[in-house]
Amino acid sequence: MKRFVTLSYRDPDLPPFSCAFPGRRGRVLDLPLIAWLTLIWVLLWSTLTWANVVTGVVVAVAVCLAFPLPKVDLGLRLHPWGILVLAGYLLYDMYTSGVQVTRQIFAGRPHRPAVIGVPLRCRSDLMLAATAVAVSNVPGGSVIEVRRATGTLFLHVLDADRPEALEAARRSVWRLEALTVRAFGTRDEIDRVSAPPPPTEPPGEGEARS
Amino acid sequence: MNVLLQIMDTAGAALVFVGAVICLLGAIGMLRLPDVLSRSHAATKPQTLGLLLVLAGVALRLRGGMDLATLALIGFFQLLTSPVASHLVARSAYRTGQVGHSELLFDDLDEQLTVAEEEPEPGPGPKPGPERD
Repeated sequence: MKRFVTLSYRDPDLPPFSCAFPGRRGRVLDLPLIAWLTLIWVLLWSTLTWANVVTGVVVAVAVCLAFPLPKVDLGLRLHPWGILVLAGYLLYDMYTSGVQVTRQIFAGRPHRPAVIGVPLRCRSDLMLAATAVAVSNVPGGSVIEVRRATGTLFLHVLDADRPEALEAARRSVWRLEALTVRAFGTRDEIDRVSAPPPPTEPPGEGEARS
Repeated sequence: MNVLLQIMDTAGAALVFVGAVICLLGAIGMLRLPDVLSRSHAATKPQTLGLLLVLAGVALRLRGGMDLATLALIGFFQLLTSPVASHLVARSAYRTGQVGHSELLFDDLDEQLTVAEEEPEPGPGPKPGPERD
């Protein structure tokens, strides 16, 4: 008998927490994604009723079927304690960031900006993106460019008059990377960020290209 | 109990005010700073902080469960989307030469871009060139 819906625990090929529909296209629905879209729908209506939940699920399924995402294992793991620590650091950093940028705005002297490259220790796409988002929200830099192959973030640093400022910007990126990975990363990536950060001049980048 | 509500109302109003002032500082910064990249600092960071403070103030005054969740959703999307927007602006500004390169104290990215542009000579086999997506 052919099943109309195949759940992921019956079929190890499917990603976790998803179900597949048979047919030519072979649509795969990601259940956490549908739950998240439904939650947003209910919050936007701002009343929790059964009608809202049901229409939310219908809209979420329709959206997921109409605009299917590529099948990738993001490698997203949630560590509640890590998320709390990350949120705390982000709030504190955003406060200091606001103060620092304000002071630079009213400093009245020309500041010396610089663009620096910071090699990260993780290579996963999700961790790279999450770290870039976290870095953009805190002092020290806004991300200009992300090089995916080498896992490098390029930051614009507003006030780089002293070499210590550049070192501090690099250290803050590495610290944020470690915090992000401890909040969302897999075990393997957590082991990676526990290692000391790579040297300032990434060796082997020139050879890798030739 | 009434006193507590009064305190929460006042604190909420104070938070909304502080948040609005911080947003204003960010706007002044956009006018005062010289180039695109510096302005993107002023456009994103104080705005995010200010908006979060305004949201916290509104949350103190509304005090409803569903409203709090909606406010949290707004804050979450602000945190998530503003870096993306500022990154795209900064990236396109950098690549179209809107950046005063002489102003920069130093520039790691410039070398990499010029090296990458010199590279596409025809070579045997696929080269693991730097990704430029």
